[in-house]
Amino acid sequence: MISVTPTSSQAEVLDLENLTAEQTALEIRNLNLHYGEAQALYDISMNIPKNRVTAFIGPSGCGKSTLLRCINRMNDLVEIARTSGEIRLHEKNIYDKDVDAAALRRRIGMVFQRPNPFPKSIYENVVYGMRLQGVNDRRTLDEVVERSLKGAALWEEVKDRLNASAFGLSGGQQQRLVIARAIAIEPEVLLLDEPTSALDPISTLTIEELITELKSKYTVVIVTHNMQQAARVSDQTAFMYMGKLIEYADTNTLFTTPEKKQTEDYITGRYG
Amino acid sequence: MKHWFKSGKPWIWLTAGAVSVSLIAVLGLMAMIAWRGLSFFWPAAIHEIEVRANDGTTQTIIGEIYDSEEIPIQRLQESGVQLDNFDEPTLRRILLKVGNREYVPLDFAWIMVPQIVRDETPADLARLERSKDGNFYGYVAAVLENGEPVATEGDASLRDELDRRIERAVEIGEEADALQSSEIGAINYQLNQLRLERRRLELSDQLTLEAEQAIEEREQALRDEYQELEKELFALREQANRDAVVMRDMRGVEVTLPMYRILGATFPNDMSLFAEIGHFFKQIGNFVSEDPREANTDGGVFPAIFGTVFMVLLMSVLVTPFGVIAAIYLHEYAGRNAITRLIRIAVINLAGVPSIVYGVFGLGFFVYMVGGSLDQIFYPEALPSPTFGTPGVMWSAITLAILTLPVVIVSTEEGLSRIPSTLREGSLALGATKAETLWRIILPMASPAIMTGLILAVARAAGEVAPLMLVGVVKSAPMLPVDGNFPYFHLDRKFMHLGFHIYDVGFQSPNVEAARPLVYATSFLLVTVIVGLNLTAIGVRNHLREKYRSLEH
Repeated sequence: MISVTPTSSQAEVLDLENLTAEQTALEIRNLNLHYGEAQALYDISMNIPKNRVTAFIGPSGCGKSTLLRCINRMNDLVEIARTSGEIRLHEKNIYDKDVDAAALRRRIGMVFQRPNPFPKSIYENVVYGMRLQGVNDRRTLDEVVERSLKGAALWEEVKDRLNASAFGLSGGQQQRLVIARAIAIEPEVLLLDEPTSALDPISTLTIEELITELKSKYTVVIVTHNMQQAARVSDQTAFMYMGKLIEYADTNTLFTTPEKKQTEDYITGRYG
Repeated sequence: MKHWFKSGKPWIWLTAGAVSVSLIAVLGLMAMIAWRGLSFFWPAAIHEIEVRANDGTTQTIIGEIYDSEEIPIQRLQESGVQLDNFDEPTLRRILLKVGNREYVPLDFAWIMVPQIVRDETPADLARLERSKDGNFYGYVAAVLENGEPVATEGDASLRDELDRRIERAVEIGEEADALQSSEIGAINYQLNQLRLERRRLELSDQLTLEAEQAIEEREQALRDEYQELEKELFALREQANRDAVVMRDMRGVEVTLPMYRILGATFPNDMSLFAEIGHFFKQIGNFVSEDPREANTDGGVFPAIFGTVFMVLLMSVLVTPFGVIAAIYLHEYAGRNAITRLIRIAVINLAGVPSIVYGVFGLGFFVYMVGGSLDQIFYPEALPSPTFGTPGVMWSAITLAILTLPVVIVSTEEGLSRIPSTLREGSLALGATKAETLWRIILPMASPAIMTGLILAVARAAGEVAPLMLVGVVKSAPMLPVDGNFPYFHLDRKFMHLGFHIYDVGFQSPNVEAARPLVYATSFLLVTVIVGLNLTAIGVRNHLREKYRSLEH
């Protein structure tokens, strides 16, 4: 049995059901997702507050990553995936026909489970998104690189070898580089899909500290297998099971006094 | 025994044996071709052999030992050769290259070893390499200038005089050749262009009197220039005619050979090892840098090397973009359905079509249909003589590009599918479109696989002969496809190819014995060229691999 002690020190507890417009980053409304015949997400509705860290937890295959990938429409790449329902960013449903997925992804950045730097230099990795937008001015790019790498707590380690290959970095450094790459284009929301699952404990700690810092500028949504991690870094936590959102509450509340039996079973280690 | 089988050792032996057999096959092939090809360039000793025939007459034969074999005596008797005092079942005979083609009926002679009464290798025997009629073997009797001897047999200065005068003749000859091929060639080319221009104007009814006059003036100017150059050429020929050498051949007859026909004189029986090695490499250098002579049975193979490499490079330039683009569509954009699978199977099976079929297709479609139409549209002034409506290096390159297209498509597709999807997603998540991701991430990372495809394509194309015989290769091309006349690349020209050269020298040659070592030497060279092309491509690929080395995804 795992005992989880919530350690995150959140300022105020938000009423997640009734957020004001400026408190809200994303609204998910009645979201369903099918992979061919199989349904992966069932009628999910939730509000994700701005400048806070929201964690999705749940056993493998519960749909937490799928939900995360719905938020920046990465599921569009899966041919057989069909979605219904809405995800609203600034009152605008991102699944509307007139929304350009590439433009959307510039506003909602994503970091994946395994570090996936491009086979380029550290510098070029960071400015990749800027170059896509046609920014090639050296001075601007230099500034972006410094700001992003500082923002990802990597600057001090790599500032002398910006032109070295990104593959020369350690796993943890690579993951921070990928975060720097994501924040270089200044998204509003940052999605983290189990960002530390391929890393050693020390790198994990660095990334977790980074996540806590990131929320001052970005809305962070993190999927994690690791309940302690969710407890450490997140402000509110959603527990998912079998494609359904079981419980969504302030992290302290969810881990100490869960409402649902399933949630309690999971966080006390009875299954999952 | 049962235990031994169970231990898996026989299996290891079997697999290792298979590898050894393959290795021996490859190395043996290379070693044999290299040995037989390269030994041709080694200065062989010249033998002076006295042979006593059956009727008691003796004859002196001078030449290089070329081959020897053991044959049953019965076979000789059946072919009418009688040998006295000889009752062994087999005897040895040697093949002597006697050269002096214009003075003896056959420049190769078989000699029965038991008939030899004397076999010597005198130091004074010389081999003269000539631009016509092959080698001459004999003793140098005198060196003549304007018909007067400047050195005779026995003089210490004889060899020096000979060498110096040959060098002079060769230099003058080269000068004359350069004059003829580059400057006179350029004038001929320009005259032809003017003829075509007049015809073009005529066809479009624009040939006014002024235009006609202008063309004529230019023609006249060119002709005057031509006259000048021709005079220069004749003067050079005159100079080259000055010297001659008197040789005493194996019959004891003295013959006078003009110096300008002689390319080099060697005294192989009087050479140090060092000189022999020098001669060996010089001969190889001549072989790869000179034009063929004597219906390809002598001289070098430079035009064939050039043609092979040029055609393969042209093909690579054509096949790579096509194959890569097709593979991108198949892998990235085409729906994953039955039609795509069918297309993929068709592409793969295309690689199994016999190459001669591509040749027939190339001749029918590219040469006659496409080339014929191009001539009608762009070169009507040259008709009825075709420009592109005839086999040429461009059609060969295109035909081989189609032949090798499946290889490039398949390996590019494999390369594309090996790229980890996390990298695609990483790029898309930063707001890249699919096309941007392809261009900036996927294609650079797939470039080693594309190079692999190109390597396989080059290896296949460089050795392909059959289709080329239909779409552009000839046994002797007067001009290279690249020269100094605008537009420098003449893709309509026919070209020579090492593979076809092997076939031509080996099977179409009037002088089989003389051609045989050239077959080996050319084969060795072809393999070397292909290996060279491949090593270049592999070097590029390894560089790319290192550059885009991804982690253990």
